[in-house]
Amino acid sequence: MALATEAPPASPPRRKQRAGFVVRFRNRQIGWLFIAPFCVLFLLVFIVPIFYAGYLSLFQQRMVGGDVFAGVANYQKLFGDSQFWDGVVRVALFTAIQVPIMLFCSMCLALAIDSRRLYGTKFLRLTIFLPYAVPAIVSTLMWGFMLGVRYGLFRQLNQWLGTDVNPFTPSTTMISIGVMVTWAFTGYNMLIFYSALKSVPHELYEAAAVDGANQWQVIRAIKFPAMRGSLVVTIIFSIIGTFQIFNEPQILPSMVSNSGITTYYTPNLYAYNLAFTGSQQGYAAALALVMAAMTVAIAYAVQIHGMRKALNG
Amino acid sequence: MRTMRLSSKQKIIPWALAASLALAACSGDTTAAPLDEADGDSATGDITLTVWSWDATVEQSVAGFEAANPGIKVEVANVGSSMDEYTSLDNAIQAGSGVPDLVMFEYFAIPYFAIPGKLTDLTEFGAQDLENDYVASAWSNVTMGTDAVYALPSDYGPAVLFWNADTFAKAGLTEAPATWDEYYEAAKAIRALGGDYYIDHDTGDLFGLLAMIWQAGGRPFKVDGNDITIDFSEPETVKVLEFRQKMLDEGLLGDSVTAWSDDWNRALNDGTLATQNMGGWLTSSLIERAPDQSGNWRIALLPQWEAGEKVGAENGGSSFGIPTDAAHKEEAYKFLEYFTNGDGLQPRVDAGAFVPNLSVLDSPEFQDASNAFFGDEKTGAVLAEASEIAATGWQYPPFFEWARTVYADICAPLYTDHEGTLEGVFETWRERMVEYGNEQGFTVK
Repeated sequence: MALATEAPPASPPRRKQRAGFVVRFRNRQIGWLFIAPFCVLFLLVFIVPIFYAGYLSLFQQRMVGGDVFAGVANYQKLFGDSQFWDGVVRVALFTAIQVPIMLFCSMCLALAIDSRRLYGTKFLRLTIFLPYAVPAIVSTLMWGFMLGVRYGLFRQLNQWLGTDVNPFTPSTTMISIGVMVTWAFTGYNMLIFYSALKSVPHELYEAAAVDGANQWQVIRAIKFPAMRGSLVVTIIFSIIGTFQIFNEPQILPSMVSNSGITTYYTPNLYAYNLAFTGSQQGYAAALALVMAAMTVAIAYAVQIHGMRKALNG
Repeated sequence: MRTMRLSSKQKIIPWALAASLALAACSGDTTAAPLDEADGDSATGDITLTVWSWDATVEQSVAGFEAANPGIKVEVANVGSSMDEYTSLDNAIQAGSGVPDLVMFEYFAIPYFAIPGKLTDLTEFGAQDLENDYVASAWSNVTMGTDAVYALPSDYGPAVLFWNADTFAKAGLTEAPATWDEYYEAAKAIRALGGDYYIDHDTGDLFGLLAMIWQAGGRPFKVDGNDITIDFSEPETVKVLEFRQKMLDEGLLGDSVTAWSDDWNRALNDGTLATQNMGGWLTSSLIERAPDQSGNWRIALLPQWEAGEKVGAENGGSSFGIPTDAAHKEEAYKFLEYFTNGDGLQPRVDAGAFVPNLSVLDSPEFQDASNAFFGDEKTGAVLAEASEIAATGWQYPPFFEWARTVYADICAPLYTDHEGTLEGVFETWRERMVEYGNEQGFTVK
């Protein structure tokens, strides 16, 4: 307003233009103000730590001589580190097997609850979701006691059945961890699928009923397509989750012997041990960044693939 | 004037708040003490010492010390055991704030802090004069074989053999094995009981094995400043590895119970686990772990490699040192001497601390102490003797904390799939240590 009165009255079009620019500029500034709190926090808790990790990864910490600039030596070492790849292959394999099983269970449960043919679905929904609320440390202790063959529940099971199954040998520990993770996250994923099913307009079912579709046809033609978007989301969440497995292999070795869990069992565990028992923070930072890049790449691949399918379908 | 003051204060407060928040965020609860301390300094002239300890008996000496030294307050904080504490200390030193005045270290952790210069040499306070009150091995741990004194021993773990007389009796044995050959024969007799009965379990127990090497005379680690030699090929070391290998090959050692696990407590308590080659510190907690075996457990000296000899070893133990960056070194040493040698020692001993001070070990009270849990055996005398015969000259490399975690990885295939031999495991372990040590700036061979 002030600018408008100061401007010479002889040239109205120019004045209008200038005022418009100022207003637009002001609006833009106000917009920045609105998102400033978010930006500051985002910068502090997200961008800065990533760059700091990147900075750290260029150094090697030595007991004699302190921190030494190492350039990309940490990364070179990492790519040739068989222990690192051992962990990566292990979690990749784990993801490839555990995630489909878990999501299949979640989908079946969501469909069952949505079928309106069950009693007590609210109770069921909550019960299945509840393990998600149990801290991973508590659940690992609990499963460790249940699956232990010496004094745990499994010893009795083995006695009854006359078997000699040990859930914590080097070749079975990963399966046991898979059971723990599946137990914890099936309910969570089920809720995502269920909320997708809930958002299907009721008219579609009515139309299907009018057309004489049976339940299987309804599931195939209406419910599966409705869940497809959620499927991409749950797959991405699950991949991120399984690539970061840490609690279970961290706690189990102190409960059971000869479980085959090493200090580099998963990449996250390896990073932890490098940083905290090996004092190799730089190397651990390099590992964390490479793992993050891999996870992001896989998550994007899944998302692009999922979107393309959604478009085609 | 008044308004001016107010406004400048107003300006400062948010910054101070932000700074203290940032500090608190960096190092958690550890900053609380130094902040209090700063307040104390300006207000009353009192000094507050911050002590990091997971040994609860230190607390017993605080009241007496504060009464005898007005103006010095002591705050004992448990910031975690072992590795957790060392990590916190490393962080505090790196951050340059919140460094405590006194810190507890296991003996093997002393070189890790002493070699990079993070520990004060206590000879400037006259600590070298205390040498004669300590068992020789404990003293050589804190001096690392040099003229400097980096810490004062606060508790001790003489390697001893805990044995269950009831289980031995079931196997027809009445005496603790005096030699390792007798131990081997006892292992066979106990294994013959069948079921879960074993003389011991081994799932990669490094410290028990090192204690045996220590006792046999092997000295695989030699540390001289930044030059480190690692050698597992000495005949004394090889002898121990071969002995252990033989026991493993013949299935005389169980492979399903790891020390400190819940399974372990149960095995100690149901009598199926017949012996434990551990430090004397197990004495107090064994009573809690195996209440059903009350009256059955005994303590004996480690079996000997040669009949008629009396050589001991060490299995754990701790000390307290003063970080180079500590704020109140002189007062810290005062308290350190008080609870490790002065009037503060006895209250700790009464509370259950096992200390390497000869004045305590040789005292009649200690020598005559017996316990119904151990069948009224005079355990004090056994533990004192085990401490005094512990062989000296053992050294740990400064990166031992790292090395022990890696050892678990390397020995896993041997213990789970019976792949390879113990000697092979130690050779791989040596190679990994050489690689890591050189990366860390040492000269390792």
